[in-house]
Amino acid sequence: MARLKIEPDIQFIKELQEAGGESLKKCYQCATCSVICPLSPEENPFPRKEMIWAQWGLKDKLVNDIDIWLCHNCGECSDLCPRGASPGDVLAALRNMAYRSLAKPAILGKWLSSARYLPILFGIPALLYLIIWGFTTGLTIPAGTIEFGKVFPGDYTIDPVFGLVAIFVLFTFASAIGNLFNSFKSSGYVPKEDAPSFWKCLIDIVKEEIITHSKFQKCSSNAERYQGHLLLFYGFVALLIVTSIVAVGHWGGKLIGHQLHTPLSLLNPIKWLANIGAILLIAGLVLITRMRLNTDPAKSVSSYYDWYLLGVIWAVGLTGIGSEVLRLANVPGLAYPVYYLHLVFVFMLIAYLPWTKLAHLVYRTVALAYARQIGRKGLDE
Amino acid sequence: MSNSILIVGGGFSGLTAALEAAEVGYEVFIVEKEPYLGGRVSQLNKYFPKLCPPTCGLEINFQRIKKNPKVKFFTLSEVTKISGSPGNYEVTLKIRPRFVNNNCTACGKCVEVCPVERESDFDFGLGKTKAIYLSHPMAMPQRYVIDGDVCSGTSCGKCLSVCEYKAINLEDQEKEIVLNVGSIVIATGWKPYDITKLTNLGAGQIKNAITNMQMERLAAANGPTGGKILRPSDNKEPKKIAFVQCAGSRDQNHLNYCSYICCMASLKQCIYIREQYPDAEIVIYYIDLRAPGRYEKFLKKVQEDEKIKMVKGKVAKLEEDGEGNVIVTAEDIIEGVKKEEVYDLVVLATGMQPSLDGVEGVFDVEVKEGFVVSGEEKGIFAAGCAKMPLDVMTSAETATGAALKAIQNLVRR
Repeated sequence: MARLKIEPDIQFIKELQEAGGESLKKCYQCATCSVICPLSPEENPFPRKEMIWAQWGLKDKLVNDIDIWLCHNCGECSDLCPRGASPGDVLAALRNMAYRSLAKPAILGKWLSSARYLPILFGIPALLYLIIWGFTTGLTIPAGTIEFGKVFPGDYTIDPVFGLVAIFVLFTFASAIGNLFNSFKSSGYVPKEDAPSFWKCLIDIVKEEIITHSKFQKCSSNAERYQGHLLLFYGFVALLIVTSIVAVGHWGGKLIGHQLHTPLSLLNPIKWLANIGAILLIAGLVLITRMRLNTDPAKSVSSYYDWYLLGVIWAVGLTGIGSEVLRLANVPGLAYPVYYLHLVFVFMLIAYLPWTKLAHLVYRTVALAYARQIGRKGLDE
Repeated sequence: MSNSILIVGGGFSGLTAALEAAEVGYEVFIVEKEPYLGGRVSQLNKYFPKLCPPTCGLEINFQRIKKNPKVKFFTLSEVTKISGSPGNYEVTLKIRPRFVNNNCTACGKCVEVCPVERESDFDFGLGKTKAIYLSHPMAMPQRYVIDGDVCSGTSCGKCLSVCEYKAINLEDQEKEIVLNVGSIVIATGWKPYDITKLTNLGAGQIKNAITNMQMERLAAANGPTGGKILRPSDNKEPKKIAFVQCAGSRDQNHLNYCSYICCMASLKQCIYIREQYPDAEIVIYYIDLRAPGRYEKFLKKVQEDEKIKMVKGKVAKLEEDGEGNVIVTAEDIIEGVKKEEVYDLVVLATGMQPSLDGVEGVFDVEVKEGFVVSGEEKGIFAAGCAKMPLDVMTSAETATGAALKAIQNLVRR
């Protein structure tokens, strides 16, 4: 027999347990999880092998593992796990570790890993927008009809800030995706010569899996999560479309001298879409939050990463709707502060995106496309 | 004060405890809920590791009971109430009607005329009996019994007219009696874990995925197929057989402990299947193979058989194909490959659930996961699988221990 020298990284095991993989030591390697997971492939199926790698502290294997992204965390493995080792949670924790390590600067990864750093994360945008408010109206509530532009003029404050944030996030992701590709390659998965191009795979993944949530749907044990995720996803898509139209209408309109003015009338179809998006968002949040609160802790435990993201989206949604309602109800004393909070939470959602669980929208998409390119798919697929 | 001992359960442990106490002079009462003594052992085809038939041990015990006036037993009986205190318990028994009295010679004429069929619980649904039946040829007492739930009673009465010995009374009634005893031995044994709860393993809906106890009946000479191992759906001789270990055991969703005997039971079954079918191929899927103590030798012997393969990886999915074959999905964790394999017959090594699990207890003892874990200070002692999952030999040893403690409880008062 070949000798295998194991060099366990004890610190890594501890970090993984803290990142949501608390239960990993309970696994006794029966492989129930690998079998019942409909997404787990024939060769080197997951998540049984990840469980033993995690127990042995084999960091190198785990940080390069594409399979953590193929897992959609439906929870079927954790449900059937005979030992309460919650493989679903351990894979989620591995992804949490990846959010922390893939994107630079690393300090942000650290800040996003524990509630202890929330004051910093909140403080940065809170101070930034407070300064802006100070410059525009001297921290007072402006008179007249409520127009948030009076306090936070789009052209000089909102758009430049979020424009810079967007560029920062995009560059961060570009370098992180490079790291991700290198890690997949170093674990030995390389596309064959006759494999389709990555771009074709990417388009197929978006068409066949992401917009339909087809893989998510395969999970029989957690229909509520699938529905919740689908609602949230389309809520975000609707809001993204609205934001894009408003931005293009505003800046593009400037060029042709015919600008789109906000706030939009309630009769405007774009405003309809915005409100529908907000409703989808809240409906999805309700389903997913309920699912997380009702989960049997013997099966699965939600991590800080789960609650951070859910919390921020709740805050964005509620302050967004709150600003609109208070504006329409003409309560300036509350409308402006709530809008201020809305900006803070949107910043917390977008500027830190590569280090939060929401980064899965990039990493998982890339990994799924790569998996398709190398032909890695579930036994039944 | 009473100098008698109540033994609840007439299986191997109960019989052993009863005889040990009776043979040193104490009066014992055995209470058995089935119509026969012998319990689960009487359903077995063979014991491990010697592969002798269970009639061996049972017959000797039956002889000892017959010869010993100190042993009294009640079949079709259950304890419904216990009052009093150690040394002086008053125990109420409910005795269900047998409808057949002592005159019965087990001639079997009644069976020929009985028009009603029932599923044989003794054969775990694999065979049928008439409404009047003998559970198995070795049944003690050798007396027929009528299943009151299916028998049409006096409106039919065909058996009455053919019985020359006036052994049948279709108007037999449930009785209640009260016993005075000083000690109690709980030897209520176990039941096979309910496979309908194993949803990912077919929940009992896959015909050719049978339990290990059904396998014992299929292989037993007094079983539904006369000892020929045939798969239930089409009576085909199985050529490819899989064993699914830990079907419900070592699982927090089912039985959260190792049932101790299932590995040995499957290894034993491999041996007798291979004797019957020299060409058959067998795969045992396991998490860990547990052959405790000196049973290791038995495991080694089975491992030497080239046609028996052992795959480390639990079966977590069973499905049926169109022809009654069973598709087994498991990950071979040594190879790191997840595969679907098709078998003619699959045996689920279902675990031991204590008979008292989930049952409203009449005994004032602490029960954990169905096992009796206290009671000694009250003069109540557990033996055999009521205490923990055990093989037959060790069950008998715990029964001897329980008998001694039961006697001490009487003497030291």
